[in-house]
Amino acid sequence: MTATGRPIQIDGLTKSFGSFVAVDQLTCTMSPGRITGFLGPNGAGKTTTLRMLLGLVRPTAGTALIGGERYDQLANPLQTVGAALEATSFHPGRTGRDHLRVLAAASGVSDQRVDELLELVGIPAAARKRAGGYSMGMRQRLGLAAALLGDPGVLVLDEPANGLDPEGIRWLRGFLRHLSSEGRTIVVSSHMLSEVQQTVDDVVIINNGRMIRQGTIAELHGAPRTRVRTSDSAALQEALRSADLAATAGPDGALVVETDDHVRIGDLALGARLPIYELVAVQTDLETTFFELTEGTNRNLEGGDPR
Amino acid sequence: MMTRAIKSEFRKLFTTRLWWGMAIGIFLAGAAMAALFAFVVTASTPGAEGTPQGTKSQMANLVYTGGLSMAYVLTMTIGVLSIGQEYRHQTITSTLLAVPRRATAMIAKVISLLGIGAFYGIISLIGSVAVGASILASKGFSPFPGGDVFRTLALSLLVLGLWALIGLGAGILMKNQVTALLVMIGAAWIVEPLASLGLSFVSWGSKVVPYLPSAATSAIVNQPSQSPTVHQLSWWAGALVLIGYAAVLTILGMIRVQRSDVS
Repeated sequence: MTATGRPIQIDGLTKSFGSFVAVDQLTCTMSPGRITGFLGPNGAGKTTTLRMLLGLVRPTAGTALIGGERYDQLANPLQTVGAALEATSFHPGRTGRDHLRVLAAASGVSDQRVDELLELVGIPAAARKRAGGYSMGMRQRLGLAAALLGDPGVLVLDEPANGLDPEGIRWLRGFLRHLSSEGRTIVVSSHMLSEVQQTVDDVVIINNGRMIRQGTIAELHGAPRTRVRTSDSAALQEALRSADLAATAGPDGALVVETDDHVRIGDLALGARLPIYELVAVQTDLETTFFELTEGTNRNLEGGDPR
Repeated sequence: MMTRAIKSEFRKLFTTRLWWGMAIGIFLAGAAMAALFAFVVTASTPGAEGTPQGTKSQMANLVYTGGLSMAYVLTMTIGVLSIGQEYRHQTITSTLLAVPRRATAMIAKVISLLGIGAFYGIISLIGSVAVGASILASKGFSPFPGGDVFRTLALSLLVLGLWALIGLGAGILMKNQVTALLVMIGAAWIVEPLASLGLSFVSWGSKVVPYLPSAATSAIVNQPSQSPTVHQLSWWAGALVLIGYAAVLTILGMIRVQRSDVS
């Protein structure tokens, strides 16, 4: 564990474009040593929020601070925060390596570090060709290399899995896990929870520029539950209740019990002389949860009142 | 911070193919115009109709800086592209992530463009002095009739830097690099010559003409006056006028960069 990570504190952050409120009084925190998924449907205000955090867009109100400082106050910005915003912002006539060298010059990073990073993200040879011919996956890797240039304690990645093949996504997941274990603050934005649910520790979900939910991924999963199927559901329900275990009957006759203690359920069923046909942990479908949290209110889809 | 940002700006230019294409263009323009003017100057009878009128130094200046009006349009193009390509390919985002203080980022562009202007100025002079001086010498003319010729050569480096800044300001204000290039090249090569021709026929107009950018540029490098009815500014007044154009456009551009959101 290194102490390089700084917390990101967003407080009352608001951005209006005319009468359109892109980000509305957003308050949240992203912590060192954790990977935070910054989630919301397309047009929810994720990119605008990240651009305000990085000093590219001026907030209408509120603050976005990195370890207590605004981005443009940082003494060594690329050594403090690494960001990959969109995977297309390279000059097509400049090689990937030279793109990094331009940034390296601006932040006092050596060309040797540039070459190390190109090894690390797996494009050392391709980076000597002009960026105009790069695939989406290569652009993502080059963007990630740019973000890591100054070995920053805070990483902000906007939709980093876009355009990566399954192998690339797997690699990215392991890589972010490793960076996080070093104590860095990592923010990964995505419009799909399923894309990041195996990667992130915390989530911040926004929709229409407003906070919908903030917490750990475990909290989003909810309390652990177990599905059990037996010959006489009512009898088992009674036996569980007498042991202070709440159980609800589903439409298919199975019971859903508010615990993940399978041994206890089995013992209680045995005590009541009831057979067990099925005993399985209930997986919350996070994608469904995500849709429930954000559905039906997307201002960008309807022609009418955006709120 | 500033030194690093300037180094980064130089790297931006020298890592695309633009720079050597421009270098070849500027070198050839310098050499070709020097050859042309050297023959014109050495062949003409002094005082004859339609030949440039001026001192021996002015004639030498004309030979060495004859390609300048092409060269400054090229460095102006570099100025437009130095910001226009950042908008076009969205590299402005990574530029401002690396140098988040926008004034620093912009001043780095200004300083680097002055340096880049001087760099291209040297390339232009290598072409024009090599060709021009040898032709003048071979025809029995003194290649360097006065010390003020060297002043002109030095100032031509500044001229190219100032035109690059005019391009930078225009590139920020118009944002679309194609629009900016069409407008600026059109202004430099079509609008301004026509305007100065038209203005030189009216008495108040001929007082305005010396303050137009190209006339100010000719004054800085002390070429012979283009038109007998128009009084040419002294070299330092011309320099102040051109610095004024560059400063106004650059400052307006910097204000815009300072205020605008990058998205």
